[in-house]
Amino acid sequence: MQAMEVDTDSHHLERKQADYKGQDERYLLRMQRYRGQQYSHLYYFRLHKFREILNTLIQKRWPNLPSCTILGLEDGKECIIVGTVYKQMQLKPSVLDEYSKERSVTPIAQPHNFMHPDDYLILEDDSGRVKLTGNVLSPSMYVTGVVAALHGKEGSDGDFYVQSILEAGLPPQHPLHSGYSLKDNKYIVLVSGLMVGSMKSNPLQFQLLVDYVTGHSGDEQEQSMAAQIVRVIIAGDSVDMQQSLLAGQSLGLKEQRRLAEPIKELDLALTQLAAAMPVDIMPGPNDPANFSLPQQPLHKCLFSGASAYNTFVSATNPHQFDLDGVCFLGTSGQNIDDLGKYSDAKEKLDYMERTLKWRHLAPTAPDTLGCYPFTDRDPFVIEDCPHVYFCGNQKKYASRLLEGSEGQVVRLVCIPSFCETGSAVVVNIRNLECHLLTLSTSSLVG
Amino acid sequence: MAPRRNTGIKEFYAQKKNTPPVKSKDRTPATKRQIDTVPAAYDDARPSTGTLGSDSAQPAALIAKGRRDYNDDIDNMEEVLRQFDMNMKYGPCIGVPRLERWERASKLGLDPPQQVKVFLERAGGISDCLWEGRV
Repeated sequence: MQAMEVDTDSHHLERKQADYKGQDERYLLRMQRYRGQQYSHLYYFRLHKFREILNTLIQKRWPNLPSCTILGLEDGKECIIVGTVYKQMQLKPSVLDEYSKERSVTPIAQPHNFMHPDDYLILEDDSGRVKLTGNVLSPSMYVTGVVAALHGKEGSDGDFYVQSILEAGLPPQHPLHSGYSLKDNKYIVLVSGLMVGSMKSNPLQFQLLVDYVTGHSGDEQEQSMAAQIVRVIIAGDSVDMQQSLLAGQSLGLKEQRRLAEPIKELDLALTQLAAAMPVDIMPGPNDPANFSLPQQPLHKCLFSGASAYNTFVSATNPHQFDLDGVCFLGTSGQNIDDLGKYSDAKEKLDYMERTLKWRHLAPTAPDTLGCYPFTDRDPFVIEDCPHVYFCGNQKKYASRLLEGSEGQVVRLVCIPSFCETGSAVVVNIRNLECHLLTLSTSSLVG
Repeated sequence: MAPRRNTGIKEFYAQKKNTPPVKSKDRTPATKRQIDTVPAAYDDARPSTGTLGSDSAQPAALIAKGRRDYNDDIDNMEEVLRQFDMNMKYGPCIGVPRLERWERASKLGLDPPQQVKVFLERAGGISDCLWEGRV
């Protein structure tokens, strides 16, 4: 793709290109038919998969200790159990509260975090469950749905006293740039939370971003920097559909047009973007896509202009792809936000690190995070460690380079919401460095 | 003139039902519940399963809450399929057809019995699991 010619000089600036391999097949639902099944199959598959992984790790770490099922626990015998963690939380909203508590006129203030000091953990495998005690496991760090191996012994009161815990750990990683040799810098722009159509978004700011990235603005130096951008990933929440219009009654023609306006505006901008360079768009919590994870790609009919270009890719949420031998994996933020409601950490990056160490993108699915009831697989199990792991729609930008025990190196990125911060994240795929790209219109406003 | 029938209370209660006894060939739970009026706990006349002289091959595990399966068509094939359903090693059985569950177990390397697959594919075994429609 060639960028626009600069007016004064006649030399071209060519945009760099990178080999893209989309790896979203595991998140696509395709022709799955829902037959009324429940979530037990998902949990069974998850436990089975992790049991396989953990058994090899257990052999290495505790070669002399026996493993047993939960029902086979004997009093005082030191052993290892493998199962799914369940966190008993008294503040967790439950549909049964409607019946047990009196209805109040105004709802009790919804806490953003449902934790309570009295929460405790239970380990469950296919034979039974046992309550976990001990200081090693802090209930504030764990959530329902994590599979782990625990070493300890059963106490006389029937609870399992935990001495140490073994998580699956970071999965194996392919070497960086395998098959490609990268000498120059190539950048990828990650942006999320555009919220086109909402009161918070500034259309000028978004237009500035599109102009900068496509090389339409700036002097030669800026344009040469923009020419090194190979791809743009839009990680969710690109539109703000006016929910007030969807009050339940059938919409008249005028309302239908008003509802579709934000999408049309987004499509115009995406057409400009797609004409210049490859773009991936992922659905987010507020986008017109399905609610439960994995969210299916936004339909092409929403983007009548942009979908005409073959550089436009509508992706699933979570999204996984390979760019010049660099593995990317990321979501629009629902998994990390859900962890934030049911556990505690200093930063969002800690949650991201935990999901990698647990080898599972969304352990709280299907307990508190909507999820499709798969019968034959759990697509959120992370098989290969990504090189860049991103999470969209966060309050602020944060990044960290995580190193694994077997030489894995992962760049964790929290993408800030663009409508609130005006920032996008730029990652250099040659050396996994990243920096923030902020566009501001404040000096222009008189 | 037709003979006048006595319409006293006795005659009312002497009326017999004229519906033929239901021979349930089908396995829907609705018809089962109609016939099963006598809880098995009171049924002392029949010896319990496994004892000498018992005519029921149904294992105790399947008599939940005292309901007996009056359909003696539970042949060997269905018995084997039910044992496959109940085996915890292959995961939950509700919500998936039996063949799909077998394929899943096979893909996970659990080595399910080949006989079950033969029954489901060729011998006309029922594709829905034991609890289908009942839970």
